[in-house]
Amino acid sequence: MPRQRQTSIPDEVATAFNEAYGADGDAREHWRYLLGSVAELGVEEFNQRRLTLERILRDDGATYNDYSHGLVAQPWAMDPIPLLIDSREWNDIESGIRERAELLDLVLRDLYGARSLLHEGVIPPELIFSHPGFLRECQDLRLSGEQQLILYAADMVRLPDGNVVIMSDRAQTPSGSGYALENRMAMSRVFPSLFRDSHVHRLSLYFHSLRLTINALNPNGGAARVAVLTPGAYNETYFEHLYLANHLGYQLVQGSDLTVRDGYLWLKTLDGLTRIDVLLRRVDDAWCDPVELRNDSRLGVPGLLEVMRLGNVAVVNPPGSGILENRGLARYLPAAARHFLGRDLRLPSVATFWCGDADDRQYVLDNLPTLVVKTTHRDQTFRTRPGATLSAAELSALRADILADPQQYVAQAHLQPSVSPVWEGGKITALPSVLRGFAVAGESSYTVMPGGLTRVGSQPGVFEITNRLGSLSKDTWVLASEPERRSAPEDTPVARTDAQAGTDAQLPSRVVENLFWFGRYSERAEAALRLLRTVFTKLHEEDGMQAQTRGLLLRAVTHLTVTYPGFLDEKVLARRAEDELLSVVLDAKRDGSVVFSLRAMLESSNRVQDYMSSDAQRILNDLSDGLGKLPGRLRGGFNAAPEEELGRLVTHLLALSGLAQESMVRGQGWLFMDVGRRIERALQSISVMRSLWVPVVPGSDAALVMETALLSAEVLMTYRRRYQGAFSTASGLDLLLLEPTNPRALIYQLERLNEHLSDLPARPGERLTPEKRLLLEAMSSVQLADLAALANAGDGEYLRADLDQLLARVQRLVSETAGRLAERYFDHTSGPQPMWPPHKEDSE
Amino acid sequence: MIYRVSHTTRYRYSAPVDQCVSLAHLLPRNTSFQRCNSAVINVDPAPVVGTQRYDYFGNSTYHFTVQAQHTVLEVTAQSDVEVTGQRQSLALDFGATCADVRALLPDVSVAENVRAREFLLNSPMVRRDTRLAEYAAPSFQEDRPFFSCVRDLTTRIFADFTYDPRFTEVATPLETVLEHRRGVCQDFAHLAIGCLRSLGFPARYISGYLETTPPPGTEKLTGADASHAWFSAYSPTEGWADFDPTNNLMALEQHITTAWGRDYTDVTPLKGSVLGGGDGHSLDVAVNVERLP
Repeated sequence: MPRQRQTSIPDEVATAFNEAYGADGDAREHWRYLLGSVAELGVEEFNQRRLTLERILRDDGATYNDYSHGLVAQPWAMDPIPLLIDSREWNDIESGIRERAELLDLVLRDLYGARSLLHEGVIPPELIFSHPGFLRECQDLRLSGEQQLILYAADMVRLPDGNVVIMSDRAQTPSGSGYALENRMAMSRVFPSLFRDSHVHRLSLYFHSLRLTINALNPNGGAARVAVLTPGAYNETYFEHLYLANHLGYQLVQGSDLTVRDGYLWLKTLDGLTRIDVLLRRVDDAWCDPVELRNDSRLGVPGLLEVMRLGNVAVVNPPGSGILENRGLARYLPAAARHFLGRDLRLPSVATFWCGDADDRQYVLDNLPTLVVKTTHRDQTFRTRPGATLSAAELSALRADILADPQQYVAQAHLQPSVSPVWEGGKITALPSVLRGFAVAGESSYTVMPGGLTRVGSQPGVFEITNRLGSLSKDTWVLASEPERRSAPEDTPVARTDAQAGTDAQLPSRVVENLFWFGRYSERAEAALRLLRTVFTKLHEEDGMQAQTRGLLLRAVTHLTVTYPGFLDEKVLARRAEDELLSVVLDAKRDGSVVFSLRAMLESSNRVQDYMSSDAQRILNDLSDGLGKLPGRLRGGFNAAPEEELGRLVTHLLALSGLAQESMVRGQGWLFMDVGRRIERALQSISVMRSLWVPVVPGSDAALVMETALLSAEVLMTYRRRYQGAFSTASGLDLLLLEPTNPRALIYQLERLNEHLSDLPARPGERLTPEKRLLLEAMSSVQLADLAALANAGDGEYLRADLDQLLARVQRLVSETAGRLAERYFDHTSGPQPMWPPHKEDSE
Repeated sequence: MIYRVSHTTRYRYSAPVDQCVSLAHLLPRNTSFQRCNSAVINVDPAPVVGTQRYDYFGNSTYHFTVQAQHTVLEVTAQSDVEVTGQRQSLALDFGATCADVRALLPDVSVAENVRAREFLLNSPMVRRDTRLAEYAAPSFQEDRPFFSCVRDLTTRIFADFTYDPRFTEVATPLETVLEHRRGVCQDFAHLAIGCLRSLGFPARYISGYLETTPPPGTEKLTGADASHAWFSAYSPTEGWADFDPTNNLMALEQHITTAWGRDYTDVTPLKGSVLGGGDGHSLDVAVNVERLP
């Protein structure tokens, strides 16, 4: 897609309304305290605070997934200067939003009901019938209670004359309230006294109303079980889904976590099905139910609409509400307001023309250069076209498009939004801003969030800001004329503590599966890192190493990381070892490489971010950063002392596993994570022993090989102390195979696994599960091992055959255990697929 | 005339289906010219939840969820429908002209005008197009009665297009049908609808059945019938009238209406979502229309 032509119209800044300064250049009354405080803090200090703000957002995992530059999670960007609105003016804005939400609710109910707006000539039928957001399947979906539009958001700008106008309406799954809350939390922590002394209205009222409303919508009675339905970790605003779910205490789920049975909606958990009463969805209308809406959707739940009709679940906002996002509606809202309310709207919309109307169309065609053309539907493929930026050829192409399908197009007056102060480096500049306000239904009207999400354009001109959420944002402070009484406690989202993470008994199967793989990949990466680190050191230190020994060590790396052919290929082995070793570390495309495993681990953690504590998140962030810098740091090869870089990553991984051991409650989440770790560690240690100790190494290198294995398992010191330096295979095996107190010994992993398996939910009456049977067999094989026999290769033999046999057997048993576990506990249903339409109607 | 219609659909899957959530448009609706006296739908394995309702267009809709694991799903709809022949009296050479239709349609005080304008617009399978308008144009004169023009279009489609069940699939676009002049009843209905909408006249899609009469001297075979499709055009003064371009007929006593919508996608006989089922499935449909004494 061609980049938006950059247009900067310098005059605009001069004529735009300035939020902070009057025409005389003096700061406006309500800005004086803040601007004074900023000056008082000084550039140095203010820059420091800005950095702190950045760090807090990063630690909270605040991101916005931006697809315009490939799939990357952008850090949520925030300006440290809030937008200020004084309470008198806010009163007008607030009642304007409330009134508009009430009107849109009436419009929504009418369009999916009697359609009096069409029959009485208020809205041309074609405006509704031609809009893809008008979902005929949603005709009879009704939430209990009068209001059907539960959540609403409006984007507003202030024009040069100081008046505020509404630029667009959000009514399907309005986003941004979570980011607004995160901005507020971060600001109040970074500027505590400034925040306190400015008497800022709190956001808690809005979230409190939201909870009450959601609860009241429960069709099944009792305390509502609420889930937030997210399209998944790759959605643009996934962070917010997570954040809101945590803040409100709701479970975050994906479509595949849910199922429809017996006419109700259920969450699939390890313990079975749990009913969901209210679904707060962040999946767009058309994707909610593949049975009736888009049949290629994997994001929704098959049968959801019918469960709504049966009155067994409430979905917020009800599907179909996207019709309110029809951009042409703004043209007819004043008439609708007179029709329903008998008066004009307090907050006007931006002047809008709908090309389906003959007069409007003529006006638009005649005035194209001064207008901004959009489609009625928020269509990703059509970019908003500001007429002023188009060439003559582009203008005539646009004219032809409009004439070909006029009902699809609207035009709006070119807007010149007000500018607000923005901190740039060491100074304050003025950039255009848009405010998104939020309202939630309740008590027959709407509660408006006192504040909202302010977004700042990177340059004058509003187009860049309106399209995406991912631009620079600001907290929005509505200033009370006097300090607010603290009737409600400040709405602090409870930081996810380690004690809470993963304790929920009813984890979706998807979550335990991801935690299991998180455990496995982190252990896999750690084992690879440890062995690589040791091998790097040995190759570097030992000049006189025999070629055979070198090959043994290098092949151990290939075996452990399963990066075949690797050093098993004689040609690779003959070359400089460094190249292949670095590839085993860095090549993200190579299954088994360190970077591959760490990426997979981070991905698993991403999918279950809500079960990661904030401390764990911090370490994961560092790890992710470290991963990015790794190629640069390792570029120097052996000279760059790669073992130290690898050691750094090992430290991060140890911090993670330490956190899991020390701070996580032993719920199902922890259990599966640890099962994953133990399985992987058992398999890795078997791999090292098979590569290094099964072959008989002649001469002085025997000690070196022994040492490598012990070092990579971190037990070399113990070994030396216990056996006083005398290297023997039997004593090495004793320590790595059988020593029950060594947390890296094979038997230790098997014993922990055995304990864990007993804690997993089993079918009633089932005594010995197949996975447990396999594990017991593995344990007894190891326990019955005769060390002396295992260590003995027999005269003239190159391999310790008994040892190899035993290890191979245990390896198979552990792998099978893992397979059985997955079979039993993880969700194997492939996604729903459409039932094919039976046939073409084909009689003659 | 009273008909008994039975319509059986059998899916066979290559792997077990754990759950099937489905929506059927298989039971005939009531119209001004027909009454559905009884309608029963049977699903095997038995659904845990099954509900009947009327959809946005007033069609009878049946929702069901099968939770029993199955590799074969059989859905049978059986209904007794009484069809009256009032439309026979429709005199095509009188009534609103094309110009009248255009002039009267904007009047929203006639409730049916508002509803009909929905059928003027693009729909998922039918898009207005200048080629369609060009094809239709010779049949339409501004001062000629509208339905007479529509009848003419119906006859031309019947004459110009070849019935060929092997040529098209459910998703064959209208351009292909127009270009190759081949298709089946569904294509011809969509084609006529596209023509009318491209000229600014409302038209909707009708799915249903047609009573077939066996060749003289042979016995009618049970299950040899099929579901059928035709279209309906709207005049603000006369209302809706049905035309069957596949058979060059007005839809009269032998046409039994099941459902209507903007096009096939609004009235798909059976659609839904299954969990499992593997990659392959086969499908058999048997329709039987018989006259009751």
